[in-house]
Amino acid sequence: MLPLPPEKRQVSPFFVFYLITSAQIGMGILSLPRYIVKSAGQDAWIAIIITALSIHVILWMVYQILNKGTNDITVTHKELFGKWLGGLLSLALIVYLLLVAASTLRGYIEMIQVWIFPQLDTWYMALILSALVYVYVIGGFRVVVGICCLSFIFNFPLIVTLWFPLQDAQFSHLFPVFDHSAAEILSASKKMTLYFSGFETIFFFYPFIKNARSSQKWAQYGAAFTTFIYLAVTIISIMYFNKNQLIQTIWPTITLWKVVDFPFLERFEYLNLAIWLFNILPSTCLFIWAATRGIKQLFTVKQKHSLIVLLVIISVAAVLLKDREQIQQLNTMLSSVSFYVMYAYIPFVFFYQLIKSKVRKTL
Amino acid sequence: MRKKSKQKDLAFQESELAKLLTACGESADFLTFQLHENSPFFIAYFKPLVDPNIVHKDILTIIKQQEVSSLEEIKEKLPIEDLSLTDNVPDIQNKLMTGHLLFYQKEAQSACLAVPAPAVEKRQVSTPETEYVVTGAKEAFVESINTNLNLVRKRLPTPGLRTKELTIGKLSKTKVIVAYIDGVANPENVNTVIQRIQGIEYDAVSDSAVLSQMIADNKNSPFPQLINTELPNHVASVLSEGKVAIFTDGSPFVLTGPVSFFTFFSTAEDYVSIWNIASIFRLIRLFAIAFSILATSTYVAILTYHYEMIPQDVLSLLITSRGTIPFPPFLEAILLELAIELLREAGARLPTKIGQTIGIVGGIVLGTAAVQAGLTSNVLLIVVATGALASFTTPVYQVSNAIRLIRFPFLLFAQLLGLVGVAVGFAFLTAHLLKLTSLNHPFLEPIYPLRVQDFKDSIFRLPFSKQALRPIQIRAENPVRFQPETPPKNDWDIDD
Repeated sequence: MLPLPPEKRQVSPFFVFYLITSAQIGMGILSLPRYIVKSAGQDAWIAIIITALSIHVILWMVYQILNKGTNDITVTHKELFGKWLGGLLSLALIVYLLLVAASTLRGYIEMIQVWIFPQLDTWYMALILSALVYVYVIGGFRVVVGICCLSFIFNFPLIVTLWFPLQDAQFSHLFPVFDHSAAEILSASKKMTLYFSGFETIFFFYPFIKNARSSQKWAQYGAAFTTFIYLAVTIISIMYFNKNQLIQTIWPTITLWKVVDFPFLERFEYLNLAIWLFNILPSTCLFIWAATRGIKQLFTVKQKHSLIVLLVIISVAAVLLKDREQIQQLNTMLSSVSFYVMYAYIPFVFFYQLIKSKVRKTL
Repeated sequence: MRKKSKQKDLAFQESELAKLLTACGESADFLTFQLHENSPFFIAYFKPLVDPNIVHKDILTIIKQQEVSSLEEIKEKLPIEDLSLTDNVPDIQNKLMTGHLLFYQKEAQSACLAVPAPAVEKRQVSTPETEYVVTGAKEAFVESINTNLNLVRKRLPTPGLRTKELTIGKLSKTKVIVAYIDGVANPENVNTVIQRIQGIEYDAVSDSAVLSQMIADNKNSPFPQLINTELPNHVASVLSEGKVAIFTDGSPFVLTGPVSFFTFFSTAEDYVSIWNIASIFRLIRLFAIAFSILATSTYVAILTYHYEMIPQDVLSLLITSRGTIPFPPFLEAILLELAIELLREAGARLPTKIGQTIGIVGGIVLGTAAVQAGLTSNVLLIVVATGALASFTTPVYQVSNAIRLIRFPFLLFAQLLGLVGVAVGFAFLTAHLLKLTSLNHPFLEPIYPLRVQDFKDSIFRLPFSKQALRPIQIRAENPVRFQPETPPKNDWDIDD
């Protein structure tokens, strides 16, 4: 178990807002409307709200788990389940985060290959992105928080340019409301869990927050902001496309940007895809940072060494995912994994900890 | 009698002082002579270092007119302050090297009298050369550290303005003065500066810019982490903000810190103009720097890879302009950027009059000729020239140099990956700026860490009534500049 980080390495509680949003919003948002509209039609926004509400509850559980603990999740695992089982659980969590990071990275490379450079080699882009992630993570947690915070500003044009498709939107596409059965809406909700994943990194950066207990408010705001962005993108997509169009478009959000038209610049999605780098970079950095931190807690390996190894692993993984189908397979797999992480694993740890402390008190 | 004096001579020759005098005697400009025949006293000094007026009028005339028998007596009779009687040889050496006259006797273990008579050569205080101001004070620092301190003390007549004197460089023995306002500046900043200056191991520190590189947080960054200024006005204002100023003898620039990225866009003139005009100008400078870094690379990226982005009307214009150019946009841009750099370098190295001529010949004649010959397109010429102009809008010279350097990696990234490459380059730049610190304070403040309160004098320059608190970044010991008046109750009405 590592000592708690010194104060100069810690950040103020309100930065958790940026950390949560940038960890959650990744490649998902570009394809989100299509997936949920497939099962819930024009009622997709209800599915988003349902998932979002459940996320707020799970986030509350995460804070309860961490508030009772003394350090990050690895220490809590050890206290609850012992050295071996606890360590195994922590390792599983780290591998999960790494997989999400690899999927994000590969997703971005794929999109550049599809939209801009069909001839681009995956390894070449993976190398450049790994170098970027290295430069940030080597600077420590404060620098990672910095890029999360700055990305929030850099991504502003992406949201503003959604104004253009909104001008051609058909409000009637949203009706009739509640036209789908509860089962259809819930199945859409289930598909969305991967899009909300990322806040699990809080398990690792919790000790790096000043007055960490008071940061829950900001974490909840962050999750709410993510919901707001998802809702905005989904509702605009539903209003702009008709249903069949939407289901056949793999990345409807990019197509929305295609409409943007300035007298000096057209095809805005090229610019937005470049800016999108600042969307995947903070989340990848955060995931990798969390993984190196976890590995340091478990095996006392220096973060600067494990960082290089992890980046090599992730780059190799990205190169091994050759085509759309394999990427899709990974995402489907991750989607169900993140479903179980959120709705089975976190509640399990929460209740286990609760019962264990109750039992200890009565003894 | 004679034997005795010979023995004395021998004893003297083995003393430390004699060794010092012989070492100095190797130089042609070192003088040593007996006061007059049969006098026990000798005088020694470096001729170029002493002021002949003082030596002749105030020292020799008085000593020669009166009989003196001991060094103490000389000390009493000379009408000069700060005389010191010492037998500490390193001290004597220092004094000799800083324009003192030495009275000594050829006796072993005897003290010497050092009489200050330094020749001071200095330039008159004149107008600023690099930080020109249209309105506002026009005095600029000179090479003499005492004059510089005088210029600042005049503006801050408070005993709270403290100075710490340090000497650095084994050979140059450069005098460095760290100035701050006691009770305002954070003692931690002052200590950091003093410790870093004391830690310098270098033989000759010739200028404040050299010193700045030696005490920088990150010595490989193209961005200066301490800003040098030649305006006493500016130094006085940053001292009152709670910053630390470093004066270096022999340099007309004074270092100030800690600074942030946004200090690069603030000029002394911002405080003379009305706040709304000053704020707009700051934003323009910020935009200009972003334009200067990104314009050429974006042009290259779009023309090489994303020509779909260009609207039809603009496209026809570009085709007529670029149709006959034999080079790809990247090569064309590199050629033009290099040409601009050539003009800049040549203009900077030559005397003003020739420099101007070169600018006109290079800028107008070469530019027109290159376009007419079909080597470059005039659209790119406009982009590159505007970018070059924009890089000069920052009042800090080193920053415009840094931007000059940064543009080339951006061009390369644009050629490799188009707009994504520009984004990658920008991400690298952001990483660098996020890691950078100035005297251990974050460089990108107030954007990160976000401190909205500090926006009042960084990105904007709000009215002075809003500047009641000193910037948080500096962590001033006393954060309050003045107690703001409590605003009157908002119960006014029209025509009341």
